[in-house]
Amino acid sequence: MNVRSQIAMVFHLDKCIGCHTCSIACKNIWTDREGAEYMWWNNVETKPGTGFPTRWEDQDTYRGGWEIKDGKLRLRSANKGYVLGKIFHNPAQPSIDEYYEPWTYRYQDLFNAPEGSDQPIARPVSKITGKEIAIEAGPNWDDDLGGSPVYAENDPNLDSLTEEQREQLFAVERLVMFYFPRICNHCLNPSCVAACPSGAIYKRGEDGIVLIDQTRCRGWRACVSACPYKKVFFNWKTGKSEKCLLCFPRLETGQAPACFHSCVGRIRYLGVLLYDADRIEEVALSSDENLIEAHRSMILDPHDPQVIRQAQSNGVHDSVIEAAQKSPVYQFVKVWKMALPPHIEFRTLPMLFYVPPMSPVMSMRKGDVLTQSDQGLFHEIDNARVPMQYLAKLFGAGHDAKVRYALKKQMAIRSYRRAVTVGDIEPHIANQMLREADCTPAEAEAIYKLTSLCTFEERFVIPPMHREEALEMMEDPMDHKRETGFGLVGKPQRGS
Amino acid sequence: MAATRRLGTGWTGLGVWIALLGLGIIGPGAAWGQDAATDFRNNCMSCHTIGGGRLVGPDLKGVTSRQDRAWLLKFITDPKAMIDSGDPEAQKLLKESGGVIMPTLPLGKARIEALIDLLESESKLERSKFAGQVVSNRPLGPEDIAAGERIFTGRQALSAGGAACYSCHTVQGVGGLGGGALGPDLTKVFERLGGRKGLTAWLGSPATATMQAAFGTHPLEQGEIESLVAYFQSQTQLAETPQPRQLFLGLGLAGACFALWGLNSLWKRRLGGVRRAMVQKAAIKG
Ligand code: SF4
Ligand code: SF4
Repeated sequence: MNVRSQIAMVFHLDKCIGCHTCSIACKNIWTDREGAEYMWWNNVETKPGTGFPTRWEDQDTYRGGWEIKDGKLRLRSANKGYVLGKIFHNPAQPSIDEYYEPWTYRYQDLFNAPEGSDQPIARPVSKITGKEIAIEAGPNWDDDLGGSPVYAENDPNLDSLTEEQREQLFAVERLVMFYFPRICNHCLNPSCVAACPSGAIYKRGEDGIVLIDQTRCRGWRACVSACPYKKVFFNWKTGKSEKCLLCFPRLETGQAPACFHSCVGRIRYLGVLLYDADRIEEVALSSDENLIEAHRSMILDPHDPQVIRQAQSNGVHDSVIEAAQKSPVYQFVKVWKMALPPHIEFRTLPMLFYVPPMSPVMSMRKGDVLTQSDQGLFHEIDNARVPMQYLAKLFGAGHDAKVRYALKKQMAIRSYRRAVTVGDIEPHIANQMLREADCTPAEAEAIYKLTSLCTFEERFVIPPMHREEALEMMEDPMDHKRETGFGLVGKPQRGS
Repeated sequence: MAATRRLGTGWTGLGVWIALLGLGIIGPGAAWGQDAATDFRNNCMSCHTIGGGRLVGPDLKGVTSRQDRAWLLKFITDPKAMIDSGDPEAQKLLKESGGVIMPTLPLGKARIEALIDLLESESKLERSKFAGQVVSNRPLGPEDIAAGERIFTGRQALSAGGAACYSCHTVQGVGGLGGGALGPDLTKVFERLGGRKGLTAWLGSPATATMQAAFGTHPLEQGEIESLVAYFQSQTQLAETPQPRQLFLGLGLAGACFALWGLNSLWKRRLGGVRRAMVQKAAIKG
């Protein structure tokens, strides 16, 4: 057992209101620069939809993540022969058109236009070329377009649906969408790190944050291909790749990352997980069906004395272990089993988990009127607007058991709370539902509290980062002990 | 300090002196004692005879009575400048030699004066020792041409160890990409240097500074010269016929274009994006 600590995250999709505040917070801090305009380290997509960049989940096109070949893990993107053959042009990469050409408007035209009978307008100009452009797409072009025949229909996850299910999904009464906010997952088995020919990407030992060393990056863009979530971006100005850094400067000063901090729906949770680093490869090699369970099993119980001992002997600070014990992520992922990794079949073992969304109330057509479905407010999860297969493709590697479990529990807790607060559901029915969902009233209360009444401190349990200790691994703080003050820029004339 | 420095300078001076001695530049038996006859042999004989008839350049018998001494001195010192200055006599000479400009000789004024003296005295003799070598008039056959080509391309090494012509020169149609580009194209050298006689004389003791540096100590043998002359003669005739080098280039270009077109149609989709194609497809579907 090789116990390490990792800052992990949970996004509760049932709470996201699609306001994009998170994206803007991130943009304002990190990517509001030339060369980075098109990057959205945090983006919020509408699902079903093709996402950002277009159809990022389609690994036949983009070749991201890992595959199992001859019983071994192999990068899809980095077969040596393939790379060599395409060394001058790697087609397995999104072009700027798959992201979008960033633009602004020539606002000065509004003031400088000569007097005339027409209103002056501010024309859009590309932020890359500076020339006028016809805007064709944007990072969330299909925002809220649940049933759009272009974007929603081309969602790669719909491949798993039968023709009939597809039709249902796009029937007017059943039209549905939900929001899917995405940042870098700071994976345990990151393919971006593995693919970098310059060794510029690394996963920080003490907290698992995946970073790109800007001085080492040589702009190969192997990571852009390799990341199946397309969360590494190439800065065309600096010629280097960039990605979400989980606001580590904020974390190091005890603040939640900007997107977490600003989240209006309070959907985001952040905390420490302890895991067994010796098992990464074995877990990533599990069959699709077992992946989620295996991934979960490598997350260790921070209360187990043996785990604590091993963690301590690995240099994990006591305060970090303490934070792990209070981690909301641990509760959602391991104890309640409600949060699931996105597309774990890419085998990068993401450390961002999602509580799958419940569908909106079901409606039915009765003659000329559209009414609520017969089943009451809380319908059967199998009849939900979002087909189970679809969610299973997103959060269950194609297998619905784990997704079903998480949804059932949410449903049971809703009914349970309805019984408590409104009383139009019989308590014994609610309790029965809880039992069927593998939940107790106490657990239901705890989940309800952390979901709906959570405070800042409960959502973000940020451990002290102990940078001083991380630094000690690389340099001796005593080096400068006998020097004057903070050290000298120029040598003094006497003494030294 | 000062003493050491002076000593130092002294030692350096001595060092330079010894080095120069070693190079044979200074000291007893130094090379500037060469007489005019050697100079003539090394520098002039490739193009001129004295009483042996014209090679590339004119026969120099009696030249001192045809031209005045000052003109000769000026011309020999820098023939190109004379030609450029538009001197009518120099222009005439240029025309006679078929456009070959006499190289500027690396000799000082004193040695040129000595050369002119030599011309004067030799012209008075019945038969000068510089009347030119006797060029054999043995007919040159295909074997000679083949041998010449071997020598030109370096497949047959020169007996005195000189570099193959091919390393600096080219002739039309030789090799895939032609020979070197350092020296001039030799396709028509046979005509340019005055046929068999002129070319033989030239190859016997090439006069230009570059050729002298390369072949001064590795002279060509008589047999080798004959083969080369045969080869160059055959080249002159070939040059009249269509030019395979340009054909080769044209074919190459056409081939490259074809290959590019082929690759482009093979990988047509390499630049096609995901989003645009998707939107277009949806638009067609309506
Ligand atoms: S999600 Fe982040 S850590 Fe995982 S492969 Fe992509 S860039 Fe790397
Ligand atoms: S800020 Fe929060 S609620 Fe708003 S879009 Fe982002 S994740 Fe969703």
